[in-house]
Amino acid sequence: MRAHPIGRVSELPPGSRKIVEIGGRSIGVFNVDGEFFALRNSCPHQGAPLCQGSIGGTAAPSAPGEYVWGREGEILRCPWHGWEFDITTGKSVFNPHRMRVKSFTVTVGEEPPSDQQVEMYAVSVEDEVVLLHA
Amino acid sequence: MTEPLTQVEPHVEGDLGPRPGIVDVDVHPVPRSVDEIRERMPMPFRDLYKGERRSFFNNPVHGSRLDSVPPDGGPKGSDPDFMREQLIDGYGVAYAILISRTFCNIHPDPDYAAAIAAAFNEWLVETWLGEANYDGAFKGSITIAQQDPARAVEEIERWAGHEHIVQVTMDSGARLPFGQRYYYPIYEACERHGLPLSVHPGTEGMGINHQPTPGYPTHYIEWHCAMTLSFQSHLISILTEGVFERFPGLKYVFVEGGVAWLAPLLWRLDSYWKALRSEVPWVRRPPSEYVRDHVKLGTQPLERPDDDGQLLQMLEMLDAKRTLMFSSDYPHWDFDSPARAFPRLPDETRDAIFSTNARELYQLDR
Repeated sequence: MRAHPIGRVSELPPGSRKIVEIGGRSIGVFNVDGEFFALRNSCPHQGAPLCQGSIGGTAAPSAPGEYVWGREGEILRCPWHGWEFDITTGKSVFNPHRMRVKSFTVTVGEEPPSDQQVEMYAVSVEDEVVLLHA
Repeated sequence: MTEPLTQVEPHVEGDLGPRPGIVDVDVHPVPRSVDEIRERMPMPFRDLYKGERRSFFNNPVHGSRLDSVPPDGGPKGSDPDFMREQLIDGYGVAYAILISRTFCNIHPDPDYAAAIAAAFNEWLVETWLGEANYDGAFKGSITIAQQDPARAVEEIERWAGHEHIVQVTMDSGARLPFGQRYYYPIYEACERHGLPLSVHPGTEGMGINHQPTPGYPTHYIEWHCAMTLSFQSHLISILTEGVFERFPGLKYVFVEGGVAWLAPLLWRLDSYWKALRSEVPWVRRPPSEYVRDHVKLGTQPLERPDDDGQLLQMLEMLDAKRTLMFSSDYPHWDFDSPARAFPRLPDETRDAIFSTNARELYQLDR
């Protein structure tokens, strides 16, 4: 497993997501309240692009007639059949032990050195503008 | 995202010969705006129509796939070329049988209902079955309003014979069971033109239609799950009233009601028939035999038990090779993926369900 830079923290504010292709796999990276999570962009049910689903909360199991709404921003709902997944674990809401989507680790760190053996140029950031010095 | 099931030859413009691939018998084309329908309606209905649909029992999650929004905007499912990309090319679909969701059957006014059906038919023929159908992948259904069978027959006459019209469609939401004489003018017209009649749920309990449960359920999940009850009631009525004895050329298609209920229903009806056949002596054969000759079911939403083996047994029990045709319900939320909805099937069964049954019924290769 290697680290793939997928963007700056400022490009992924809380509540947002970014879908990236890594080695032929489509993966969704989510910022939930400042913490980053990543899930495979394929629903284990019928293969829908899961990470394009809606992000919201859910009603926790409760007594008949009661609604306990919560987990706002932590639940991803499949864009096809509406199955709910916990963004922070990849586990489904209806059967967390048996139905889950693959999750990946996301960290915030230094930009790793490039593998590519090409001529290197210095890059700097000034006033939020990326400048290439060639 | 999706793997085509069959390799499809690139189509040649102007070549409308048989297309290779699977057939999907429940696909929904959507107008880009209500105005596309309204402008095809006469006054005073043009001013009246606002695109009314169900006023409650709406899906609490979403009604259509969130990824079916056309890239250039517009309602989900409203761009023929985007549907081509997602469904036709995405899964190797040779023919998509289009069924407009008009909701015309909810209205008490038969003239208004007929005007809505007529406008949708004109729209379908002029758009999806017109310029947008350059490869012949789209096949259409004539929508009829049940409220006035004589007017419904006129609507069938108006479109029968169109090169891309392959069936008639109406809602399973109804005021009377489909075996009753009220509907016979419609059946006579379908039979005369060799057009199967496809029935689609969605207006059960809405407007003037009965709800097929004891009273109204509370939630969408209940209402949606119970929609198959109207299919079962209609089918019992059709079989016991002798509809297929009166109209031996009539073919019925039930889409979006699932399939697993069929076998036990027919076991039950066949066994009662042995004792009670003299009450309905025109039912000359065990009711299940009429089903095999006259009725097909769209597979979506396919019931999936945890054990695939149980589903395969169920498919045997309901004679899937003869009774089923694949349907996806694109772009609706409970879309069945051609690649993932079924477990692996024996080749012969798979070909029948995904292609040959529909090609034969709708004469798609003629």
